Amino acid sequence: MMCDDVERDLDPYVDRELDADSIAAIRSHVGTCASCRRRVAERAGVSRLVRSMPYRVASDRLRTRVVRRVQQARLMRRVLAGAAAAALILSTVAGITFARSRAIQSDALVEDLVDSHVRSLLAEHLFDVRSTDQHTVKPWFLGKLDFSPRVVDLAPVGFPLVGGRLDYISGRPAAAVVYQRQQHTINVFVWPASDRDSGVRARTIRGFNMRHWDRNGMSFWAVSDLNAVELDTFIRAFQLSPG
Amino acid sequence: MTRSPGFEEIVLPHLDAAFNYARWLTRNDAEAEDVVQDACVRAMRFLPSLRDGDARPWLFAIVRNAWYNRIARRAGSADPSPIATARHEPADGALDPEARLLQKDAVGRVREALERLPHDFREVLVLREFEEMSYKEIASVVGVPIGTVMSRLARARDRLSVLLRSSPLPMERWR
Repeated sequence: MMCDDVERDLDPYVDRELDADSIAAIRSHVGTCASCRRRVAERAGVSRLVRSMPYRVASDRLRTRVVRRVQQARLMRRVLAGAAAAALILSTVAGITFARSRAIQSDALVEDLVDSHVRSLLAEHLFDVRSTDQHTVKPWFLGKLDFSPRVVDLAPVGFPLVGGRLDYISGRPAAAVVYQRQQHTINVFVWPASDRDSGVRARTIRGFNMRHWDRNGMSFWAVSDLNAVELDTFIRAFQLSPG
Repeated sequence: MTRSPGFEEIVLPHLDAAFNYARWLTRNDAEAEDVVQDACVRAMRFLPSLRDGDARPWLFAIVRNAWYNRIARRAGSADPSPIATARHEPADGALDPEARLLQKDAVGRVREALERLPHDFREVLVLREFEEMSYKEIASVVGVPIGTVMSRLARARDRLSVLLRSSPLPMERWR
């Protein structure tokens, strides 16, 4: 073992990246060579000095931002995948059979919902609480209803929340949560229902698209003049969104 | 709510390390946060490609790519790059009062010396000393052979020694 060999292996030696034989050889040389001993000590010193530097940790703000961005990206991906799958199904299944088998039965309730939707647009009584923040809209319903409606942030996928309103549908109190897609308004009516979850049922009434599903003990009715494809994208995002 | 498996379990535990690494790459808090955020979104997308591998070097390679993409985008724009010019700034002269104070203590001296290292050298040193990565792991993050990692580390420490020798305070503490 020569001084040149130590110089060549200085860093892997300090970093413990050498095999046992090489380590032993360097150790025994360093034991007898003062200049190599100094060189190794100096090298280890530089290493220690850098390690003594404070480690910078991610701020809570960054952690929150990352979690939020990842949830949004995840949601967006699932919505897009769902839209593609839905388009595939529609193109391969006879559309009319599909629609009829899952249609909403027409009754007074359905007419009431469409009336309420139209009234909300005409009378400019779209909101009792006007806010794009789910944490403002959701608490607003507290104390006004004996249930808490689902309110989600869908702005990242192009359906911003715009507000909420108290409504009466066929004599029962309902939460109406309002979303927007460009100039189109989507009213989502919510009230408690049976515990059985259902698939999404579809119907078109007086030119308005309507979707209905039950989930987690709540009955959901979405009414809009939005086209069917975009409304289905909205509903998928609504169902998949956390919160 | 179903979700793609494991981002929270696999990636989030390394967020501090990813930030520390990005901070040394960018030398700027806000920029480091943006890089980490970009990297996390990519990491989520590429999570299936990780399989049973070690998440930390994998994530670091993504952080590194996110940083290079940002530099490339900036180089393509008309704005002159503040990062590219920072390397050539004199150490003294234009420092603000806070930096002057920092300069008086050893941590400030070492930090400044590290920041003055060429990027290729600083990077391997940070991965080795802060993250205690093996040469093999560093090679996989940086995308160079192990021999290159070894020679870059040697040159990084040589340069750092020279930079620190011109500033007596930390060298005294360190002996």
